[in-house]
Parts: sequence; structure tokens; C-alpha cells
Amino acid sequence: MLLWLLPPVAWFSVFILVPYAMLFWYSLGHTEDMRFVPGLSLANFARVFTDEPYLGVILKSARIGLMTAILSAIVAWPLAFVIAFHTRSASVKFALYLLVIVPWWASYLVKAYAWKTILGTNGILNATLQGLGFTDEPVRLFLYNEFSVVLTLTYIFTPFAVLSIYAQLERIPTSLVEAAKNLGAGGWEIFWRIVLPISVPGIIAGGIITFSLAFGDFVAPVLVGGSDSVMISNIVINLLGVAFDWPMAAAIGLVIITLGLGLISLTGWLEEKTKVRL
Amino acid sequence: MTTGIELRDLRKRYEGHGGAGSWAVDGVDMQIGRGQFVTLLGPSGCGKTTTLRMIAGFEVPTSGQILRDGVDITDQPVTDREMRMVFQDFALFPNMTVAENVAFGLKTRRMKGRFGAAEMRRRVGEYLDLVHLGTHADKRPHQLSGGQKQRVSLARALITDPDVVLFDEPLGSLDAHLRKVMQIELIRLHRELNKTFIYVTHDQDEAMAMSDAIAVMNGGKVQQFGTPREIYDRPTSRYVAGFIGHAHIVEASVVESGASGLSVRLGNGEVVRLDAPASLQRGEAVGLMLRAEDLSLAKPGDGELHGKVSDSLYRGEYIEYVVDLKGGAGTVHVHEPTHAAPFAHGDDVALKVNPAKAHVVGGA
Amino acid sequence: MRAFGNRPFVLSLASLVLFFLYAPLLVIVVFSFNDSSYTGLPFNGFTLHWYADLLSNRQIMGSIWNSVYVAVGVVILSVVFGLPAAIALDRYEFPGKGIFRRIVMLPIVLPGIITGVALLSFYLTLNLKLSLHTIMLGQGTALMCITITEVFARLQQMGKSQTEAAVNLGANDWEVFRHVTLPGVRSSLFGAMLISFSISFDEIAVTFLLTGRENTLPMTLWSLLRREVTPEVNAAATLIIAVSVVLIVIGMYASRGKGAAGSEGR
Repeated sequence: MLLWLLPPVAWFSVFILVPYAMLFWYSLGHTEDMRFVPGLSLANFARVFTDEPYLGVILKSARIGLMTAILSAIVAWPLAFVIAFHTRSASVKFALYLLVIVPWWASYLVKAYAWKTILGTNGILNATLQGLGFTDEPVRLFLYNEFSVVLTLTYIFTPFAVLSIYAQLERIPTSLVEAAKNLGAGGWEIFWRIVLPISVPGIIAGGIITFSLAFGDFVAPVLVGGSDSVMISNIVINLLGVAFDWPMAAAIGLVIITLGLGLISLTGWLEEKTKVRL
Repeated sequence: MTTGIELRDLRKRYEGHGGAGSWAVDGVDMQIGRGQFVTLLGPSGCGKTTTLRMIAGFEVPTSGQILRDGVDITDQPVTDREMRMVFQDFALFPNMTVAENVAFGLKTRRMKGRFGAAEMRRRVGEYLDLVHLGTHADKRPHQLSGGQKQRVSLARALITDPDVVLFDEPLGSLDAHLRKVMQIELIRLHRELNKTFIYVTHDQDEAMAMSDAIAVMNGGKVQQFGTPREIYDRPTSRYVAGFIGHAHIVEASVVESGASGLSVRLGNGEVVRLDAPASLQRGEAVGLMLRAEDLSLAKPGDGELHGKVSDSLYRGEYIEYVVDLKGGAGTVHVHEPTHAAPFAHGDDVALKVNPAKAHVVGGA
Repeated sequence: MRAFGNRPFVLSLASLVLFFLYAPLLVIVVFSFNDSSYTGLPFNGFTLHWYADLLSNRQIMGSIWNSVYVAVGVVILSVVFGLPAAIALDRYEFPGKGIFRRIVMLPIVLPGIITGVALLSFYLTLNLKLSLHTIMLGQGTALMCITITEVFARLQQMGKSQTEAAVNLGANDWEVFRHVTLPGVRSSLFGAMLISFSISFDEIAVTFLLTGRENTLPMTLWSLLRREVTPEVNAAATLIIAVSVVLIVIGMYASRGKGAAGSEGR
């Protein structure tokens, strides 16, 4: 037993527990002339909740994460549904599955950058709108705001949402659909009363990961976000790279780690709560 | 106009890869009277489930017709057929309670307005009681045993009061004891509710015990359609004779046949007389169907057939002897009461044939 | 009769989603061939100019090799430490098991930047110089849970009976691992390795703070994208998409083939 357990436990102690402990040590101190001064003060944690813009940005990042998770689930559902329920041939199913996976593995940066090309003032969308005569001047609304950040993140995470919803839908036995039809239920009734409720665990499993990844994203805000769409990871980077305020960055990190642990527990609870035993 | 379900030359072909295909159902004609309990019986792949699924509307026939009370319903959508089905895997909705599952058929849009909320509750209670599950209304399907799940599935099918209930091997996933209990339950429900039951199974005991009529199927065709007694006592083909019960078929040829009965000669020259009137050609090759319970053992010289005991198996209710007939004419099984004098391996014995029950099936 | 609902309606919805997924990729690919130094309409004509530029760009080409080096290291770390972790979680009950599982999962729900901050403070305290190896250690920690969860799920699915049969027939620990456990988890381990490699190749959040003098490909692209967008980036992106398509198809077919062979054996 020790043979199997010792290496991973050692690894995670050295590379997670020790660094987190150090983070804690840093968070208790402060900086003077860009140099770290050890201390035993909780002032930095208080600042997370009182000073601008920390708490506000954390909440905004959470909002963006939540919208991304919800939107990508909504966009993903019909495609997952078609693969799981409307594709009879195994090879067509496999082909559709590949079509979903390819954009998921295509480079993250490239995908964010693609939306910049599309939404920009000289982008495809504006060129098309002007070409069609809908507008004379480029529409600036598309890019550099929260909408473009959420759209880009939704685009990035939709394939993942498709995969996790599909995994759940595929497990639904055909006989459930047949039983419902046999009892006189129409398509919408089967959707609302049976298939959608059973797909909820898949939506949640994918949604939690999507939420977390979108919450901590710093690429989209820089590439397609505006001056007001800074997210928490951008703040942390600035604290380290520009302000050299290590203790503050460490405090924010610890607050987020605590939130993350809470999220893991919430996930377990939600999974138990919505579990459908097929 | 005929009432009930009628199948006319029903066929279903499944296409395989590269033009290969096969007829799962290959010309089935059948009349199922209203209120009857009819079983489609056969081994897996015989087309019984496909036939049932065409009646339910889950499969579209390649050709042929399905009529209900004289009306062609071949192209009617499943949702409109109002024939309820009980599935082998129960197909209970896992996201609903037992009561919600049972109420499902009453809550569909097409049923809207037919039942008030109070009436619906009363009815759900009534049907849960009917299947002895009154105290389990708020449980989830995964909290129930297999037998309980199947009862929920039954109540769900029955609650909308359909004329026709379809069963796709409903007891297939239950253990032997529970199967017996559920068989009695199904017979009771059929008697009380007076609905047409169409039942698919590969278990002949189940089919014999419950059905008004059995259709023995093989290779996509109905081999014989008749009452359990007809199927058992007077099978019309070697296939049916061999499929039902403990029957062994011994090759024989007709010695004489007429209104008073029939005599056949076995390969070893021994002759057996049967009571059943027949009109067969003298010398015609037939199969003599000998069931274990229609034979009895005696001392050599005391019966029309002779042979040697090769094995004896103690079965509790009876002793089963395996007897090799003289001159290699065939092998038969014989059930003897346990209190009769026992025979041992290697004993020479005579066999008495019950002339009222022995039966011949045509063709070599 | 699995399908339900209005088929033309659901098929058109799904097609719209596929359009949404592919339109942006298509834009990148098309403009990588556009004979204009600016990404956007109009389309001036076909050129391979940007690909030529890309191949002669030493910074980008160098960073590709750096990325491969890091990704290979991450895969090796994930297998060496992740496989034992999965086996231990599957086989044994030990004090702190629940906490161990949570800690393993933590880097997946945490923003990569936070993992980066924690590791950076650790490296700085130890006076470790930032290099490709510090990136490797950071990504390895963050991505190890992929291998652990994939292999753990497979082990749970396998159940204990095979191991018990092997022990009953006199196999020792090593023989059980060599002949039962490893063949059993092979396909999911392979899948996890492939996933870890691709994520590592594309990773930017953890990497961001741990990068020294040498850059990985995403970091190089990032600096290019922040400064100024040149069609060279389109060309690089197109190549990345092409390579990932090839890798995915190979990976999927390989794991599908193995899965089928496995089910035949059962």
C-alpha cells in the first residue's frame, strides 16, 4: 500500500500543500519598497473584502463564469441531443463526436483570437453588416465589453458542455422514450418531463468545470474585453508583475482556494442531489 | 367486422451491410379476439418481439397490415395507439416517484381535462392498490425490487384503461420464484380487467400457464397457433412437438390408418397403436412423438416397446429414466412415480405407450 | 424508436451549433491564405507567404520544441505519480483519503493563475531559477488529476474480482500489476496521456507566471497577439488546428480500436 501511496502523497505535499502554506505565510505579511516584510496580520484578507476593486472583480468573474456555464449548456444541448438520440449509424455518431472534439482541442488562444477577428471594428461581422448596407459605420458594440468576453468563453467551452451532456444522454435507455410515447406523450412532453430532467447531472458536471475555467480566465478579457472587463486573474497578474504586492496576491489566492474547496463540496452535494439512477 | 387485433401477412426486413438483410418477421397472419390472453412464444430471434413492436407501433412493417377492430392502424403513430406496453427492463422514469410514474399516462397533453387533480390522485391510489404497492407511492424506482418495479410498470400501463396491453418478456429479468408469483398476478389481472393481453416470452411454462392461445414462432413465421392444450397434445409439426414439453420424436412408418386409429412401425420392427383417427398413406414416414409422462416402464414382455435403461435421474417429484430403444430406433425419456420399483442402469425394460396421448407428426 | 421530437427542427438547431463551432476556425484558416498584411476583408488573393514567414521565424519554431519538451515531461510525471495514486485510491482505505482526493482535484477547479502564484512563491523561496522545468513541474501538478480520475474510473469499473483471482492463483504484487492492473487500465491510461499532452501543449494559465527565459508556444503566440496581429499568427493557428485534428483522429481511432478489442476478449 505504501508503495502506491507514498510517491503521489509526497508529490502533492511538496507541490500543493507546501506552496499553499507559503502562500499563507506571504499573505500575513506586507511589502515595503517592493520588498516582502513578514508579519502576522490579517489585514490583506480584510482588504479583499473592503478595498476596491477586489471583491467586485471576484463577483464579476463569478458572474461571467456563471453566464458562460449557462449559455454553453444551452448552446450545447441540441447538438448533444442529436448525437445521442437522432443518430442511428455508429459511424455518423463517431464523426459527429469528432466534429465536437476538434474545436475543443484547437488552441485556446487561437479560439479567443478568432473572435477578435470576427467582432472587431474592422472584423468580419462589421464588414458583412456594412457590405449588406445595415450600417454605414462599424459597430463598436461587439468587441471590448463583457458581452464579447462571455461570447468568446461560451464559444471556447461549448464543445466541453456538449461532451458532458452527451455522456449523460447516451446513458438514457431507449425503452424510456418508447414507454413515454406508448403512454401517449408527444416530443415536447418527453423532452420536458423525462430527457431534460435526466440530463441535469451532465449539465451540472460540465457546468462546474466551465464555471471554474471561465472564472479564472485571463486571456479573453485581454484579447476581446474592454477596460472594464478585467477579471480576477488579471488582477492577480497585475499585483505580481506591476505592483509587486505579493501579500495581496497571496491573500486573493487563498480566498479563491477556499471558494474552490467550497465549490468541490457543492459539486459533490449537487451530484448527490440530482443523481438519477438509470 | 372482427373485434380485436388482426395481423395480415405482416413482414419486417432488416437491411444489413452491403445488401445483406434478413426477414425478422416473414408473413404472420393472426386473429386475436377482444379480451383474449395471447402469447407469442419462441426462441430468441424468432420474430416474436418484432411482431409485438410492430403492433405497438415502434417498428414500421415492411409489408402487411395491422387492423384493430377492423380499422387499419398500420401507419398510426405510436403516440396515438393507446395500447400500453410493459417492458422487460420496466422502463420506469428514474426522475419520478412511483406515483408520478403511474400518473404519467394521465398527465399527457392528449389526456388533459379528462381527469381532475383529485380524480387523478384517487385513480393512482386505486391502481397502486391493484398491484399491492399502495405504501410505496413516494419511493423512487431505484428503491424498489425487481418484482415491485414490474408492478409499477403494470399499474402505469393499466391506469389509462387501454383495451390492449402488450407485454415484452416482462418477467424475463425476475428470479424463478418471483416469476411464478407474477404469473398468478397477471392471470388475476386479466380475469378482473377483461382486456386483451398480448404477451411475448421464450418461457413455455409461462406461456402454457397463462394463455388462452399460443402462437409458436420460429424463423419469423407462426408455426402453430392454438390453445395450450392443442399445442401440447396435437402439435402440427416436428418443430412445435420438439419445442414444447419433454417430447422425443422417434422415426416410424405408417402400418395402417383409419377412423378407428393408427398403427406405426418403428425402425426396429416394433409396432405402436394410437387412438387418434388419421388418414395417412400406408408406408408413409412419420415422427412418433413420445412424451415422458405418456410412457411407463414395465418388465420385459409387458409393453409394446423394448429398450435398455441408460440413465436414471432423481427429480424429486418423479424419477426420469433415459431409455435407448431396441435396435437403435431412438432414445426416449420416461417419468415414473418415485414409489414405483426402481430400475437401474443397464436394465432391460419394456415401455407401455398411452394410446390416447401418443401422436404423430408428418414428414421425415 | 430512440429519436423523438420534430426531426428537421432539432437537426437544424444542431447544425446551427456546429456552424457556431466551426465558423471562427474557418475564418482563421481562410485568412492565413489571404494576401494582405491585415486580417479582415476584403480577400486579396491566395498566398503561402505567411507560412513561409512562420517557418523562418526562429522564435516560434523554437517555442514549438519547448512546448513538446514540456508536454512530454508532464505526461511522464502524470503516469509515474498519477497511476500509483489512482491504484491507491481504488484499493485502499487510509486516513485522510477524502482530503487527499480533494487536494488532487483542487488544481482543476482553481484558476491556473492561483496554482501559478502558489508555485512561484515556492520556487522563489527555494531560489529556483525559472525555466522549462519549473513549467513542467507546475503543469504536472495541475494536470495529474486527469490521469488519476481517468484511471481511477476504469479501475472502479473493473472491480476487484480479477485481482482477487490473480492473488488466489499465487501472483505477487508486481505480477498482479504487470498482468492484471496495467493491461486493464491501458486504454484509459493512453487516453489520459493523450489528453494531458494536448492540454499541456496549449496551457497558458499555470505557465504564465512560471516562465523563465524560454517560452512555450502559447506564450510566444500570446506575446505576438498582444503586440500586434499579423497573418503569421493565422498561419500558426491553422497549423495548430491541423496538427490537433490529426492527433485527435489518431487518438480516437486508437482508443476505439482498443476498446473494441477489449470487449471482444470479455
